Amino acid sequence: MNDLVTIAPFGLAVLLALVVLAVDLAWPGRRGPVLVTTLVGLAVVAAVTVAVGASGERVTAFGGSYVVDPLTTFLDLLFITIVAFTIVFAPDYLEPRGLPLGEFAVVLLFAMTGAMLISASADLLVLFIALELMVLPGYMLAGYHKTDGYSTEGAIKYFLLGSFSSAIFLFGLAFVWGMLGTTRIEDVRDALAGGAPLSAGLVMGLAFLTTGVAFKIAAVPFHYWTPDAYQGSPTPVTGYLSVGPKGGAFALILRLFAEALGPLSADWVQVVIVLAVLTMTLGNLVALTQTNVKRMLAYSSIAHTGYMLVGLAAFAVGRMEGLEGLLYYGAAYSVMNLGAFAVVAAIQRRAGVTSGLATFAGLVRREPWLAALMTLFLLSLTGIPPTAGFFAKYYVILAAVQASQDGHAALGVLAVLVVLNAAAAAFYYLRVVVYMFMREPDAEQPALAHGRLLWGGLAAASVLTVLLGILPGPLLDVVGQAARAIGI
Amino acid sequence: MTGLDGLPLVTLVTFLPALGALVVAFMPTSRPNLARSVALGFALAAWVVSLVMLAGFDAGGAAFQFTEAVPWITAFGIAYAVGVDGLAMVLVVLTTTLTWISILASFGPITHRVKEYMVSFLILEVGMIGVFIARDLFLFYIFWELVLVPMYLIIGIWGGKNRIYATIKFVLYTLVGSLLMLVAILATAFTYQASTGSWDGAFAVAKLTAAGATSLFGGTFGFLAFGAFFLAFAIKVPMFPFHTWLPDAHVEAPTAGSVILAGVLLKLGGYGFIRFALPLFPEAAHTWAPLIIVLSLIGIIYGAIVALVQPDLKKLVAYSSVSHMGFVTLGIFVFQEQGMQGAILQMVNHGLITGALFLLVGVIYERTHDRTIAKMGGLAGLTPVYAAVFGFFVLASAGLPGLSGFVGEFLALLGTFAVNPWAAGIAALVMILGAAYLLWMFQRIFFGEPSAFLLGLRSHLSDMTPTEILTLAPLAALVVVFGLFPGILLDLIRGSVTSALAAVAAGSAITVEPLIPAVGLGIVVAAVIVQLANVVLGGGGAGEEQPGEAAPEGAS
Repeated sequence: MNDLVTIAPFGLAVLLALVVLAVDLAWPGRRGPVLVTTLVGLAVVAAVTVAVGASGERVTAFGGSYVVDPLTTFLDLLFITIVAFTIVFAPDYLEPRGLPLGEFAVVLLFAMTGAMLISASADLLVLFIALELMVLPGYMLAGYHKTDGYSTEGAIKYFLLGSFSSAIFLFGLAFVWGMLGTTRIEDVRDALAGGAPLSAGLVMGLAFLTTGVAFKIAAVPFHYWTPDAYQGSPTPVTGYLSVGPKGGAFALILRLFAEALGPLSADWVQVVIVLAVLTMTLGNLVALTQTNVKRMLAYSSIAHTGYMLVGLAAFAVGRMEGLEGLLYYGAAYSVMNLGAFAVVAAIQRRAGVTSGLATFAGLVRREPWLAALMTLFLLSLTGIPPTAGFFAKYYVILAAVQASQDGHAALGVLAVLVVLNAAAAAFYYLRVVVYMFMREPDAEQPALAHGRLLWGGLAAASVLTVLLGILPGPLLDVVGQAARAIGI
Repeated sequence: MTGLDGLPLVTLVTFLPALGALVVAFMPTSRPNLARSVALGFALAAWVVSLVMLAGFDAGGAAFQFTEAVPWITAFGIAYAVGVDGLAMVLVVLTTTLTWISILASFGPITHRVKEYMVSFLILEVGMIGVFIARDLFLFYIFWELVLVPMYLIIGIWGGKNRIYATIKFVLYTLVGSLLMLVAILATAFTYQASTGSWDGAFAVAKLTAAGATSLFGGTFGFLAFGAFFLAFAIKVPMFPFHTWLPDAHVEAPTAGSVILAGVLLKLGGYGFIRFALPLFPEAAHTWAPLIIVLSLIGIIYGAIVALVQPDLKKLVAYSSVSHMGFVTLGIFVFQEQGMQGAILQMVNHGLITGALFLLVGVIYERTHDRTIAKMGGLAGLTPVYAAVFGFFVLASAGLPGLSGFVGEFLALLGTFAVNPWAAGIAALVMILGAAYLLWMFQRIFFGEPSAFLLGLRSHLSDMTPTEILTLAPLAALVVVFGLFPGILLDLIRGSVTSALAAVAAGSAITVEPLIPAVGLGIVVAAVIVQLANVVLGGGGAGEEQPGEAAPEGAS
């Protein structure tokens, strides 16, 4: 019975997905019932998550394969928030294109259950199943606009490379299991704790695991699927893909690398540092040349992955602030990026409008509020204070600086690279602002009517973007607690 | 102590414009005049508050007055800590004064998106004042970056033909410097935290300054951290060779934007040197000083020579800024009392005089929509009042004794002379050059027969309007007052100068090898030859007018 209480958030999330499916069957094609059920259900799941995690203790279930600790609670709430925002922003884009909302919500909820299961995994096998549960709905979502060639193309690329990387990841898990004889995260950690030299098998396992994970978070040079998948997907899906599965993959990294393979951190941190350098630099450089805003945001999302990896590297060399920074960054990035994508989706409300830069020309004239909000999100993505993006970058840089003063000079170089990259990123983020405020549109277009739901969602996202920038205190407490769940 | 009657005056003066921005933002777009007057009202209110502060400021009292401190991000010991010393007080008043003048001067020229313009300007004022009053490094950085966004919009939306290129250049230059400074700020705070074992006060300027005096931030760390601060401030000042964003930004910015850019934004760099870079890293400051002095000298000479050949009136004033601001960094880094006093006076006076010159350029541009010096001529007969006012500020800028421009440069030179006569000699020679380009420009525009271009515009060539006179009169009055009675300012800043010099242990000798200026001169001569070749070959100006393919819009 206690086990059931412990997994209640996850169980309720699965139940919610099924209920929404039933609701959609009962009232086919109606958006009202679906939206109400989903949002109320998400609120319930969130409440239960908080209640279950309120003690802040580490609780395991099902023979130690499922764990609830403050990290689980934090990540679950983040995933729930991401999905709630995605659902709120979706109808404005989906309906003009004749795409049903019901299935969208159901598939999205199933993806969320996968992400929640990742954050609660205490066993490598559960971890893998959870990963698949999260990414399979993602493939479906990417191809959701099935009459659109690009959407299908993106989905196929995403699916092929995603499955490929899952297989590599699984192969790595097999090595770990074979060498250590256990798949329990705690046991793996204990088995490795001795500090004995790595066996060849474990090195292989580590290499495969790293590669597999690097695919999932789209770290350079394993990022090739991202731009096509992001550009082809329906815009609300792109927004979700850029934060949801990425957040899930980082949860996986924390559970697998930081927790299970923590004793080997001196070995994998080298790889993380190299990946961080490549990821943020190449992501930014390629983003500089993009003329499609969705594609630009896709490449910039790669760059942001790089910044988060800097936090991971700082953590790996012994700085808790690195992990806290990573978690803070994840939350801040989710909010501001979803906001930015929501604006793109809102502008594309009329079917056929592309996400090219030209669409944004003179936006301030026809939709001043959307232009202002987009500017806020872009400034936050750039890292200009007082926004969430600034404080997140501040935290990650702080961790890197601390690590460098502990004697890890490479981290100091990373800190400098982060800020140089942030300066370069200002160019392409502000270019959108240039188009919105300083260019005249090619042709006059009437303003579009946007739903109240969209405005509400945008208001929430912008308020959070500002609040996380000027009053970071409460979230700092939460990420601090979550980070201590893993420890050094 | 928070101020008269317990009012938090510093917070008030900082955030009144923010309140104003909020109010203006929710006004109907259809009533631009309302937005104009409300914005002016808030700017004037902030000005009045700053004057009240000035009146209540006790030059002989505590170093920092009107202090307020509220914990903010306790996890890192970050606080909302504000307060002003004499230096900050003077610069706050300069900011509030120039802001309302700029807003008033924008009434005529800015006709589209008036509301957004006023909002940007008021937010800009918040950022500028915030930089001067912040007593917490984190808070300082936030205000420092806050300045960037409205200025970006002001140049980018209301600027001239090449505005987008200019504004992106401005942002990228500034951002590179300031982000590296962020790393240095964090490293400094963390070094402090590591030494005391607690984040408490790790961002507090007062505690960090005290720690800096004990050489906590010395050695290689101090050298690198100072380098990062130096880059941020040197780009802002701007020092040669980080100045190339300035002419573009100035030429493309609307008149009021140029006024604020020259009047206040450039001062942020000089202020940063005095307030943060010197006290935190005194050791490194000495190490870096020779290089900075040489760069200042090059800037002084280079700015003057390039100004000499500018065909564009606004660009001429912009390059004269590079030259004049060189005296600021020169005066600071000789670590002498007179030098430091001169630097601060130069900051204030350059703000007043160059601000006025940009306003005057705006006056003629409004009427002719042209700024080419060669097209002008004989304007004195057509617009006598304008010629008189222009002449007055040209003389002030050239450093005529009795007007305020003279005092700062003179003191800076005096301080430099005590340390290194060579450097002072070179800089003094340039004052002659300064008189040359300014007077030559004045002569070409105002004397002789009216040019055909101007005669063709005759009907539009009215003399200055009352509003324009109203914007320039306070500046002219201050130029005279500070020129005759520099003691007013010197009394106010005495405490700041003393503590800044105590922090860097004034008096230690600095040797600038005579060879270094010679090498610098060589570089300048080469640069000037290139520039001249550009002009002769029809490249136009300083060769920076063609953004070419690198322009951001090229990517569309």
